[in-house]
Amino acid sequence: MARVKPKRHGVVTDMTAMCDVAFLLLTFFILTTQFKKPDAEQITTPSSVSTQKLDDTNLMTISVTPDGRFFFTPTVTPTERDEILDNMAGEYRIGFTEAQKKAFRNASAIGVPMKQLPSYLDKPEDVRQQIKGVSIPMDSVNKELTSWVKYSLQANPEARLAIKGDAKAQYPQFKALFDGLKEIEFYKFVLITSSE
Amino acid sequence: MAEVQVQEKGGKGGKVRSKKHNARVDMTPMVDLGFLLITFFMFTTTFSKPNIMDMKLPAKPPKDQPITDIPEIDLSNAVTFLLGKDDKMYYHQLDQNGLTDPGKLTESTLDSEDIAKVIATAKARAKRPDIFTVIIKPTDDSNYENFVDILDEMAITKTDHYGIGEVKPWEKAVYDQKVGNK
Repeated sequence: MARVKPKRHGVVTDMTAMCDVAFLLLTFFILTTQFKKPDAEQITTPSSVSTQKLDDTNLMTISVTPDGRFFFTPTVTPTERDEILDNMAGEYRIGFTEAQKKAFRNASAIGVPMKQLPSYLDKPEDVRQQIKGVSIPMDSVNKELTSWVKYSLQANPEARLAIKGDAKAQYPQFKALFDGLKEIEFYKFVLITSSE
Repeated sequence: MAEVQVQEKGGKGGKVRSKKHNARVDMTPMVDLGFLLITFFMFTTTFSKPNIMDMKLPAKPPKDQPITDIPEIDLSNAVTFLLGKDDKMYYHQLDQNGLTDPGKLTESTLDSEDIAKVIATAKARAKRPDIFTVIIKPTDDSNYENFVDILDEMAITKTDHYGIGEVKPWEKAVYDQKVGNK
């Protein structure tokens, strides 16, 4: 008598349920993900006990690097950006080509004086980040930084300002910035910190 | 998972019946891909939004308006913090006539407990603790972290009355002597 051989089963699991869950999660993550725009400079914000979270609607950001250079990120809406650039171009008498305006709409952060802005916008994004040692001027003579804020507010009165300063940046830079903001009568803003 | 389906030898003669497959698709690769993508999105997603701190600057009085009725401030109701270099803080409760030599400027660290102690002591001595005010004056030697630390400390000690001011020349002179700035 031949032995009864156990029948060989291929192990087949019903993966439908697992698949469902996987794709549900996938959809969730795809929809919630926001790709972080690369920062122009590495900025380590100081820590605080605050638990308020940053709401990034209508948000413009001023970044201050450890060596005290300023970067400005306008609100993201393209029409507002166009208006801001037009006003800035008018004040500082600089012409922009259509290509440069288009580049400005997509720019992540501006970190150069107005005079250099056209050539800055001509460069591709990854080259811009390699430019070192430039900043938006902010002193008693040249107040370009607060002009950016002023025209952003003009384009969108709802715009809010966040200041993202590096912990090691020296205070005089902030004093200049606060004084400038007082001058354009803009008193209320938020400081970005990290949790402890 | 490799299944070998052994083809049965066809029956002899008879009608060729279409064999009944149960419609089962091998979903393994699909699930693999699904989880791979999930992992990717989980790692790239930014859930944590940064924290923020509200900040309000005092409004500048209009230039043409003469400053009148400056309120009389009792010196005991306020303490002035000068943020200095090397993460140090100096405080005093004096005015221009009182603050004459560096000895009257007390040094403190920016440590949370130290600041809380300074505020508590000063507040206990204040004639009117309800209007007790902390005046924060960051010098040019301080950095942004000191500034945020002290604002944070105001939140911790629940000091609602505080203001950010500019270092006055007479304070600067004493401070420079104190820390040995030329």
